Amino acid sequence: MQKDLENKFLIDFETNQNIAHKICRIYTTNKDAHNDLFQEITIQVWKNYSKFRGDSKFSTWMYRVALNTAISLYRKSTRQPKTQDFNDVVYKIQATAYDDTEELQLKALYKAIHKLSDIEKALIFLYLEDKPYKEIAETLGISNGNARVKMNRAKEKLKNILNP
Amino acid sequence: MDLLENYKKAWNNQPDTEGKRSTLDIYKLAQSKSRSIVKWIFIIGILEFVGLNSLYFFVDIDEAYAEYKKMGLENFIFYSQIIAYGILFYFLTMFYLNYKRISTTDSTRTLMKKIIKTRKTVRNYVLFNLGYMALIMVVVTIASINTNFDDLSNKQIILIIFATLIATLLTLGVLWLFYQLLYGFLLKKLSKNYKEIAKLNEQD
Repeated sequence: MQKDLENKFLIDFETNQNIAHKICRIYTTNKDAHNDLFQEITIQVWKNYSKFRGDSKFSTWMYRVALNTAISLYRKSTRQPKTQDFNDVVYKIQATAYDDTEELQLKALYKAIHKLSDIEKALIFLYLEDKPYKEIAETLGISNGNARVKMNRAKEKLKNILNP
Repeated sequence: MDLLENYKKAWNNQPDTEGKRSTLDIYKLAQSKSRSIVKWIFIIGILEFVGLNSLYFFVDIDEAYAEYKKMGLENFIFYSQIIAYGILFYFLTMFYLNYKRISTTDSTRTLMKKIIKTRKTVRNYVLFNLGYMALIMVVVTIASINTNFDDLSNKQIILIIFATLIATLLTLGVLWLFYQLLYGFLLKKLSKNYKEIAKLNEQD
């Protein structure tokens, strides 16, 4: 039984690991911290996996657990450097088929997101991932209306950072 | 097109190969030990309960009891300790239940609320203990002045009261500072985020 659950978890997590990686890129600025947070997210998803009932999609559930880990459970290591290591994480995206302009845009986007507060980061992340307001509100534990208002503010703030 | 929509395209097209882990890697990671702040709060909380209660091991109970008896405080000490252990048991149970209720599958706001509540249980226990120690200190001082009243000059009495006051305040101050540093260090980020999300919900 345990083995079944483990196998199911491994398949689910492996397929959706990009959610965790994106969250790590948003909430950390160097490789060590990225790996630390990724590890903690993996532990938390596994620890809670038996509570996942399958009435929602696994990915929806994983967004919540992973974001919660980044916002509330994970403590940045004290030796975390500031932005100079930025390029260390963001991200040696050297995929050959990858468009140059998009790569620059993506770097600028991550850099701008790093300037937001933890909660704003969560809002922007869920926006970029095309999550509906209802899901955003439920994930964060706020009302629908507040999710909308706060999202608009976070978006404005991000725009101002990207295009001052 | 909206500025952000443009960036969103780049976001959606980011390659998903970077940092990709194998199933074996994920298996190993999932089995490793959590280093989350919840775990730290649990460990530190238990240490606080154990630490505060082991203070009594440093006191020679028989000798202390003989002293209390001389001052006529044996009943007060006996009953107050029974109450103190009852309260300790209550706090330990609450601490454990609060800790158990913490779930990463809650909404962010609920999760943060539960973490803060768990920490507050220990803080309240420490406050109770400090209060209890201060009470014992005051009662013992008054009783010892009473017992030795005829042998003490006014100056000595004032000196004893003053010394007790300073010692009590110093102990409380040091413990308070230690507490602030410890949890301040551990929960700075969480408290900030919780305030932000709580403020966000007030705007209804």
